[in-house]
Amino acid sequence: MATATGQTAGQVTQIIGSTFDAEFSEESLPEIYNALKIDTDVKGVPVKVTGEVQQHLGGGRVRCVALGSTDGMVRGMDVVDTGAPLSVPVGKETLGRVFNLLGEPVDGRGEVVTEEHWPIHRTPPPLEDLSSKTEVFETGIKVVDLLTPFVRGGKAGLFGGAGLGKTVILTELIARIASAHGGYSVFAGVGERTREGNDLWLEMQETKIGQTDRSVIEQTCMVFGQMNEPPGARLRVALSALTMAEWFRDTTGTDTLLFVDNIFRFSQAGSEVSALLGRMPSAVGYQPTLGTELGELQERITSTKKGAITSVQAVYVPADDPTDPAPATAFAHLDAFIYLERKITEKGIYPAIDPLASSSRVLDPQYVGDRHYAVAREVQQILQRYRELQDIIAILGVDELSEDDKLVVHRARRIERFLSQPFLVAEVFTGKEGKITPLEETIQSFEEICEGKWDHLPEAAFMYVGGVEEAAEQARQMAEEA
Amino acid sequence: MAKARAIVKRLKAVRNVRKITRTMELIATARFKKAMDRATEAAAYTQKISEIVDDLSSAALTFSHPLLEGRETQENSALLILTSNRGLCGGYNGGVLRLANRRMQELRDEGRSLSLEVSGKRGLAFLRFQGESIEQEYTHFEDKPTFDEVDELASRYVSAYVGGTLDRLDVAYVRFESSSRQTATIETLLPIGQLKEDSGEGETAGEGLSVDYEFLPSAGEILEEIVPASFKARLFKCFLDAAVSEQIFRMVAMKGATENAGEMIDSLSMQYNRARQTQITSELSEIIGGAAALD
Repeated sequence: MATATGQTAGQVTQIIGSTFDAEFSEESLPEIYNALKIDTDVKGVPVKVTGEVQQHLGGGRVRCVALGSTDGMVRGMDVVDTGAPLSVPVGKETLGRVFNLLGEPVDGRGEVVTEEHWPIHRTPPPLEDLSSKTEVFETGIKVVDLLTPFVRGGKAGLFGGAGLGKTVILTELIARIASAHGGYSVFAGVGERTREGNDLWLEMQETKIGQTDRSVIEQTCMVFGQMNEPPGARLRVALSALTMAEWFRDTTGTDTLLFVDNIFRFSQAGSEVSALLGRMPSAVGYQPTLGTELGELQERITSTKKGAITSVQAVYVPADDPTDPAPATAFAHLDAFIYLERKITEKGIYPAIDPLASSSRVLDPQYVGDRHYAVAREVQQILQRYRELQDIIAILGVDELSEDDKLVVHRARRIERFLSQPFLVAEVFTGKEGKITPLEETIQSFEEICEGKWDHLPEAAFMYVGGVEEAAEQARQMAEEA
Repeated sequence: MAKARAIVKRLKAVRNVRKITRTMELIATARFKKAMDRATEAAAYTQKISEIVDDLSSAALTFSHPLLEGRETQENSALLILTSNRGLCGGYNGGVLRLANRRMQELRDEGRSLSLEVSGKRGLAFLRFQGESIEQEYTHFEDKPTFDEVDELASRYVSAYVGGTLDRLDVAYVRFESSSRQTATIETLLPIGQLKEDSGEGETAGEGLSVDYEFLPSAGEILEEIVPASFKARLFKCFLDAAVSEQIFRMVAMKGATENAGEMIDSLSMQYNRARQTQITSELSEIIGGAAALD
């Protein structure tokens, strides 16, 4: 094909929202996923747009998704086929920098010169290269470590509706994991608030790695395509970030962390361009290719024998309905699944992780050990029973319960509160020092609460503490003040 | 649809619960009226007989009755706890048992032994759960305790007291003061002497009016008859009070439960309507979108 040899030019024939059509000669038709560039100016205003070929319409015409704003584009503009998919700079030079989806630095600190550029569309690693070891990844957050342990080299998802604290938990995990972590981190901001991206960037500059003097940002590369960007940008930014992370995995062989906030925006952007590309909408108006699109992205986020990518992804749940196709599709790809519940935020318990809806593949005696498993199940059983009794309590009152059930309610209310924890990143808001609780202490604490050793403490004492001894201490302080 | 259907299911369950609680409220109201009539009838008799015993014991008589005498030692004391056989009566059992528990704790702290006698399945279940040993269990007292049934118990207490195997008898129950006021109390029934300061009944007649009695055939014989009768009447009164209070508590609890269920039905209906509406909207938009895409 002619496209392989070099650049060919065509003309824009139609522009619809964030998609446009271009016409080339039949012999030099650009391939699917090739990047097309427009670089002209209209009456002195520069128009610089990159598009990605999505469909061949026949008669030399191709339909593209614009990866930037289509403002100022007119029919008849010259389009240049770059002859290859969009590629982004990869390498250690990207560390400490902030990029957009095209791989251009946006932090105002000049060009990034790297040896290599990798195309953002790549095939997932072959089956035989996948790593098969399973190891628990400790976070120091009680509820996560106990009920939804993360997998080293695995994927964890934070599901939640609007304003439940997904971004806060993600930031907290960055502060906890990245600061204790020796390898590299890549952060992908997909369709979220630009302000949050800015906050995160500043936060990372302040956070130090372990006891060293270097800040986390020096080991991190950030890629943003936020809410203000057109859907094409939000659709591809995750791939750009992932490509950079893949370089670290394949070339340096270190453990790489990939944070994505928010993977739902990827599906959403896909659905925004889907109708413009002429696809028939599927369930709830999503694109019919939802599963394929997400699968192509998620299958690349994986650990190989060369190195591991541990990924944490926030997933927005529209209208608090987890059966919505977008979160439901994302769910299938994850090892650990954390579901944030509005009812828990209403009680003022943060992180608002639903201990019954959340789960993890490794919460299995084979990986976490018998004791951890038994304690986690016991906690879930107590909370499950409490939830079942909730209707009875609402109608008849707690007096009508049997003595056994009263005890269950008593403990469940304490466990519920003990699942809260002060966060490192929330110190300025809560005035409480962030707590990192070792896994051993977490298991010990919950075991003792389930056994009834701490039944005598008031409920409020269990709020926002680390280990259970701190709850006892808080109870003593409360008694003194009263 | 899955969500809407789940809500419908819960809605049905809550509606059924409301039906039950409303029925129980009505039943409790009917039973309460009957029980209250019995209690008020007995109250007059109990009050009069207590007054007489009071007068007699305050009248300087040379003769005394064993039931009137307090003991130096209170080695063998008994606590009779009156609870209900059935639940769904709010804080009725909880109140009595909390009080009884405190008394048991006090006595235990003083290092004295106590024999527990419990009436009602609820109390039995609670105390067994706590691991208490229960001397006597009664489950046959329903909402219409008869005098014969109580008399059996009372006679046993009297003979035990006279025989010296019992030094003190307390009863924990919910006293019926008025239809809007019932309090869980512990009353000492034996020895009878402590009656006055405990209950306050009969004060109006007792003060200042020292009646001159003439006894026929003799003071001794009359006391022999009237003192145990008074004790029995008072014990019977406890049972009657407990029965009335139980019905009142149940009435109130069920009224609250019915209201709560109503509120829950309201909020569930709202949720269901919203879920249904959302579903219709999304189906419509899917159909319209699909049709538009085909054009």
